[in-house]
Amino acid sequence: MTKVELTDFVQNKETQIIKGNVAAANAAKSARVQVISAYPITPQTTVVEKLSEFVDGGYMPGTQFIKMESEHSVMAATVGASMAGTRTFTATCGQGLFYMYEMIHWAAGVRLPIVTAIVSRGTAPPWNIWADFSDVISCRDTGWMSSFCATHQEIYDEILMSYKVCEDYDVLLPKFVAYGGFILSHTSKPVIIEDQDKVDGYLPALPDEKGWPHIWIDPERPLMHGNLIMPSGFYSEFRMKLHIALLESKEKIKNAAKEFEKVFGRSYGNGLIQEYNMDNAEVAMLAYGDLALQMEEAVDQVREEGYKVGMVKLRHFRPFPTEEIIKLGKKVKVLGVIDRGIAFGSQTGGPVSCEVKTALHETEGTAKVFPMMNGIGGREVSLEQQKNQLKLLVKFNETGELPKDMIYGTYWDGLLEVE
Amino acid sequence: MTEGTIIEITFHGRGGQTAITASQLLAEMAYEKGFKDTIAIPIIGAERRGAPIQAFTKISKDKPIRTYDSVKEPDYMFIFDTSLLDIPRIRDSIKEGVTLIADSVDSIDKSKLPKDVKVYIVDATGICINRSFMHSSGPILNIPMLGAFGKVSGYYDLEVMEKVLKKNFGESKLEKNMNVAQDAYETVKEV
Repeated sequence: MTKVELTDFVQNKETQIIKGNVAAANAAKSARVQVISAYPITPQTTVVEKLSEFVDGGYMPGTQFIKMESEHSVMAATVGASMAGTRTFTATCGQGLFYMYEMIHWAAGVRLPIVTAIVSRGTAPPWNIWADFSDVISCRDTGWMSSFCATHQEIYDEILMSYKVCEDYDVLLPKFVAYGGFILSHTSKPVIIEDQDKVDGYLPALPDEKGWPHIWIDPERPLMHGNLIMPSGFYSEFRMKLHIALLESKEKIKNAAKEFEKVFGRSYGNGLIQEYNMDNAEVAMLAYGDLALQMEEAVDQVREEGYKVGMVKLRHFRPFPTEEIIKLGKKVKVLGVIDRGIAFGSQTGGPVSCEVKTALHETEGTAKVFPMMNGIGGREVSLEQQKNQLKLLVKFNETGELPKDMIYGTYWDGLLEVE
Repeated sequence: MTEGTIIEITFHGRGGQTAITASQLLAEMAYEKGFKDTIAIPIIGAERRGAPIQAFTKISKDKPIRTYDSVKEPDYMFIFDTSLLDIPRIRDSIKEGVTLIADSVDSIDKSKLPKDVKVYIVDATGICINRSFMHSSGPILNIPMLGAFGKVSGYYDLEVMEKVLKKNFGESKLEKNMNVAQDAYETVKEV
């Protein structure tokens, strides 16, 4: 495709009171993405609306916005644009993400650095549009990286960090940046939109006309992509290398977070996890998404009552921070894991609590895992509930007692009475 | 205002009465006035014109706001339509010590409310009709209601409103916006 010269549109650092979705759109703008293809779906719609406003209003010079008739086509167009050597962005959620599913595998298999915002919502049926990470978690085994955001600022920051990681030559993988529908997407908070110069300096240069180092579409150099490979060919090796790249992206994620802190002054732990108030903590809660921010407040309040509790925010689901979780298991006696998303038929029912159990199972003397589940389909989780969850960890540590109404090893908080 | 407290505000309105936007604008005005953190929380479902809707705003002078949950014990309640006070769920949520700001010409019977509830009324609908400040399905109540709130709470003044409204709706509509804001600012009264 023809390269368009970037004009001098420059964003100066500014704090805006904006919705999480607008923060995501601003991140795509700050990252100077060249191609956006998207199809609206609640609660993601306002990401796309804002971006089309930016493109139409001349705030994203050189960016092409491709409207499509479905999410499947959206990801196909995004894959095509990325293969042609451009920085691409899209956003979707829930059923839209599932409609995209075939092309999602394609993006990872071809090793394309596509960043996709997932405004997580419940999976139908029954129809549900509210916060629930089951959608992004159902793409666990696609070869994509995936991360969760706890704040509006983190949405903006995480999308920037993602481009840095995805476009690294040793990684070259797509990434989901997920955040809770409505809870973050439609609420408004102060968000710092950074200086364009600083963002340009932080991110890798946009790809030149040669595109990405490993793949290109160019009429002058016709090539066939995605051919059939016989079982005796290199298929196994391609897939193995994808697996290794995903695991080894951990170091790149850590570096991206470290450099982000240096340039912009905001810390996200080591990039994979972020500890909060873990000094002398005897029990800790592993939380992710919006509930991790509220859990910080709960930890402070429960500490004021004299309990030694702490929390760790899980930032990345893929790659999974196994080493960090093992270390954490040695630090505390009880490790609670609070999921907002279901892995049907698994050991605990919670996708993250299953991962944590797997990570810890070979370590001697490690923390006991206390799986919990809440907020499914956007059900509100109050601060009081979260304080109670922390106290359940304390009680389990002190007395070995679990709540009576555990469901196959997991404490489901905030359920209605059912017969 | 004591240090470290987060002020919580509830908005009750009907679909089309622009209460959701009010929650967002209030967050912006508080921030503009120097509040350290704010959050505007709309409750989104299958709303339609005329159906009861709800939104919340939390504002904090000094400490960060780290909760996303709904407001259960508000310091202030916006009532965009006094018929909403007949809904038990809403009437029961009026707790001791809360301050109500209602769009009403008539006085509100305080005898049915818990004690220590302060009630302010402003004829927001009348102001909008008088100033032809309307959208397709009725008066744009949020601007006069926010003008009244600025006066009642003292959290921001008309100058701050002008800045925020200009940023959101542009120079061309600023005078109309400020006229209704000022009318309400000057006429809001305690019952």
